[in-house]
Amino acid sequence: MKQVNAVCCTTIELSEFDVIAAMKEIPGYIDITPGDFKEVFRVAYAHALQRLMESRTAKDIMTAPAHCLPVNTDLVLAAKFLADQHFSGGPVIDESGRVVGVVSEKDFLQKMGVGQHVSMMQVATHCLSNKGCMVMNLRNHVVGEIMSAPPITAGPDITVGAISTLFTEKKINRLPIVDAEGRPVGIVTRTNLVQLHCLSTGGRP
Amino acid sequence: MKYWQKMKGGGQSPPGVSLVEVGWSWLGSFLGITAVALLHYNLVDQQGLTMLIGSFGASAMLLYGATRSPLAQPRNLLGGHVFSAIVGVAAAQWLGHYPWLAAALAVSIAIALMHLTKTLHPPGGATALIAVMGGESIHQLGYWYVLMPTALGAIVLLVIALLVNNVAPNRRYPEFWF
Repeated sequence: MKQVNAVCCTTIELSEFDVIAAMKEIPGYIDITPGDFKEVFRVAYAHALQRLMESRTAKDIMTAPAHCLPVNTDLVLAAKFLADQHFSGGPVIDESGRVVGVVSEKDFLQKMGVGQHVSMMQVATHCLSNKGCMVMNLRNHVVGEIMSAPPITAGPDITVGAISTLFTEKKINRLPIVDAEGRPVGIVTRTNLVQLHCLSTGGRP
Repeated sequence: MKYWQKMKGGGQSPPGVSLVEVGWSWLGSFLGITAVALLHYNLVDQQGLTMLIGSFGASAMLLYGATRSPLAQPRNLLGGHVFSAIVGVAAAQWLGHYPWLAAALAVSIAIALMHLTKTLHPPGGATALIAVMGGESIHQLGYWYVLMPTALGAIVLLVIALLVNNVAPNRRYPEFWF
């Protein structure tokens, strides 16, 4: 997947000289100016990308397997696991292996702070100005208590376009991809989408 | 000033073609016009009719010189000439007293109609104009002008284009029929 993205991120910029070179190689008089051809190419390329976005599904871009946390994982262990793996969150599974929730940095912060819209900076401010640090709030709790549930999940055939919409509408950053029984087969994160997006902009930010 | 900027152009001219291409273009157009001209002088002219009109020179350029062009395809060749001929004859008959208006409307309406019917063929504009300013012999034809010289001449050019262009290893004609 990484390799594919590296290739996708290469900008394809056609110059009129390329077009002229091609027109010279093709025998016969081609009744179009190089500039017009370039424009046709640019627009057609955008259409091809659009088609690609609509034909790509979670299956094609997801990270698999997804690293899941059992629902009864101690929060301290869970935090260590996420930190070690450089994950900012992950699906939570029950004893039968089904996805029952999603846990993310946001959930940890919420447990540490007060109120709904807690941010890392709020927690830092609180820790620095108060005697005790709120991170202690995490002790003796398990993932199941803080996770976002029920989880927003999707099947492997959801299109990339639909995933983008879900991310925006539900304000989420990761989408566990589950099979018919609700068992995780992978995860699509914003990173996966961004990697695909760089393809649609031809490598430009 | 965007308007004046536009007049600067700035695009690149397409490359020229090889001598082989020039040779095929010459051969095709020579044979195409030969066919129409022979029919005209040996057969049709003797009946006081015509088969050869100026716009066929332009059609020959497209059919044998720019074979790949969308403007050179059978749909455009036949549609462009026939629609334009109809418009031209109508303009000549209705507005014959105002030749300048008949000429302008014949060409402009022919172009609009070719656009609308996706049969754009530049020589069609000439076909429409000839219907107006082609002189008494053309005017006398009335709407027969559409069939002969226009449609029949175009068909002869088309047949020669099919026969000659496809002999050339690097050519294929047509790209599409309709």
